[in-house]
Amino acid sequence: MLFEYLLRRISLLVFMVFTLTVFTFSLNYLFPGDLLTNFSGQVNSNYSQTQILAQKYHINENLLMQYGAFLVRIASGDWGVSLSSGQSVFEHVSRLFPATLELCVYALGVAVLLGIPAGIVASAYHRRWPDRVINSLTLMGFSIPIFWLALLLIMVFCLSFGLFPMSGRIGLLYEIEPISNFILIDIAIQGFPYHGLAFFDALRHLALPTVVLAMYPTTVLVRFTRDSMLHVLEQNYIKTARAKGLNRRQLILHHALRNALLPVIKQIGLQFSTLITLAMVTEVIFSWPGIGRWLIDSIYQRDYPAIQGGLLAVSMFVILANMLAEFSHSLFDPLSRNQAYGKV
Amino acid sequence: MQLLDIRNLTIELRTEDGVIRAVDKVNLSLKEGEVHALVGESGSGKSLIAKAIVGVLNSRWTVTADRMHWQGVDLMRLSPEKRRKIVSRDMAMIYQEPSRSLDPTAKIFEQVAESLPDDTFKKGFFRRNTERKEKVKALLHKVGIREHIRVASSYPHELSEGVCQKVMIAMAIARNPKLLIADEPTTALESTTRAQIFRLLKSLNQLKNMSVLMISHELEEITHWSHAMHVLYCGQMVEAGPTQKVFYEPLHPYTQALVKSLPDYAQGLAHKEPFYALKGTIPPLQHLPIGCRLGPRCPQAQKQCVVTPNQSKSHGHAYACHFPLIKEKSKCNPS
Repeated sequence: MLFEYLLRRISLLVFMVFTLTVFTFSLNYLFPGDLLTNFSGQVNSNYSQTQILAQKYHINENLLMQYGAFLVRIASGDWGVSLSSGQSVFEHVSRLFPATLELCVYALGVAVLLGIPAGIVASAYHRRWPDRVINSLTLMGFSIPIFWLALLLIMVFCLSFGLFPMSGRIGLLYEIEPISNFILIDIAIQGFPYHGLAFFDALRHLALPTVVLAMYPTTVLVRFTRDSMLHVLEQNYIKTARAKGLNRRQLILHHALRNALLPVIKQIGLQFSTLITLAMVTEVIFSWPGIGRWLIDSIYQRDYPAIQGGLLAVSMFVILANMLAEFSHSLFDPLSRNQAYGKV
Repeated sequence: MQLLDIRNLTIELRTEDGVIRAVDKVNLSLKEGEVHALVGESGSGKSLIAKAIVGVLNSRWTVTADRMHWQGVDLMRLSPEKRRKIVSRDMAMIYQEPSRSLDPTAKIFEQVAESLPDDTFKKGFFRRNTERKEKVKALLHKVGIREHIRVASSYPHELSEGVCQKVMIAMAIARNPKLLIADEPTTALESTTRAQIFRLLKSLNQLKNMSVLMISHELEEITHWSHAMHVLYCGQMVEAGPTQKVFYEPLHPYTQALVKSLPDYAQGLAHKEPFYALKGTIPPLQHLPIGCRLGPRCPQAQKQCVVTPNQSKSHGHAYACHFPLIKEKSKCNPS
């Protein structure tokens, strides 16, 4: 049964990827400039080169053939070259994306570790001081624009106290060979002489961007968990369990939590798209070498192949993350497991 | 010995427009092994009373009572923790929507096993699991579920309402409670299942000497096997007493109307014959009349009825009415 569900989900994924690639493909036509340049990223090519490119991109054939060739290229990792750097877009993406992903995962991790317990505490002490404190803090965190928060933190912690570095992923002293492109993992597996110091340095670089990026999802999770818990605690089955003689702790651990966290899992997946958007802002402020900053730079520089590649990668990732959250949701929720049809 | 003795139970809801008294000075007492019926229209506060006894009302409601004794212990004066312990040991409650009273994400086995008290296990720690399985199986059999393996490994949404209600009863009797409060246990069920549930409750009462406080609309069904009946109207106890007396010789106009409104199928009904009903509708909670709450609808109402009638009692038959329907006894030798 679970397998069928997975199958349905995957077929849905295929359709979503199809629309996404159609959109990306059509961008080549919608962007201003030469079609071949948009496709390949080659500028000022001479006649013979143009002939070769036209051959390769099936420019002179119909749209379907072009789209087919586009798909083949996407799949084989040939995403054209960047107009500004002249390097392969795919290489850029595969180098920069892990940096963003790292930031997002840590931020999300912080959000989950802080937000869900805070939400549970707030609901367990509903309308008493812990609830009030948590509620007003989340409201504050919720309403601070993150670029402003980032600047404030930089001003206080970097400029006044000098506790944290202001930009980048790691100090210039350390040269880390990119293997997995996740900097902490890279430092750990390389085993170079000062890897403890390097690790610490990388953590210090991570601290501020993670805090800034985690602010929004944390507050959302706190509020969502709290509301969900309060809703569940009103349900009849909680009353039954209470009449059964369970104490408050057992009640929350055995019955309320499982039911309340199900919608929260879904919410975590939904937060991913917002998170990536916010990550772009954070990356620009902290000069974090991630895909967001690169994408924004590419937009400034009218680097069409790069924009295409970046969009495709980011949106593909968001879709996958959503899918994963949905799937784990239905893995835990017996009700949605035997739904007849998949939902988007 | 009174099992449950409640005097002047009042349940109030504080709203922006002032305090609404949803249940007004209700008395109720129950002996061991008795079946009591709490009867009244929906919104008359029957469920509130049940929930107040078990102590699962929201914090929005304020419950006050002159006394609420359970086997001589005043529940109102206990700390919530102690009260919860007593209540969970001696009372159990089943609800009207069984499928919504079961945790949707836990299997039936877990939920039934959870309601087994810890001190029922006699064997050692390592054999506890098999013992638990045995106990759950026995409980499910006891309430008339034959396919215990399938039911125990299902989630609530995979079972019918009737089976869910049986599971609820199984959970309720797991601790061998002295009192079972059944809050309209059969409203969501089909008639065959309904009969099964009634039979089950009846046999529990007769075989295990379990008291049952039955909240129900099924007047006729309940008169056959309940010992006493309490009739509520808009949160006021209008009449209480032995079932046969209340049912056949009602003293309160409301009870009379209630009994009259039952269609008498033995006599045969004419085509489209109207049922008997009191004029008017139940007042909403915000606009309760003063005095006797039945006042505006009562066929016998007079000026005095704007004052709340006191309860009078004769031969265990209590009623709250200024003008009870007492038949004048014909004297032996009229002079």
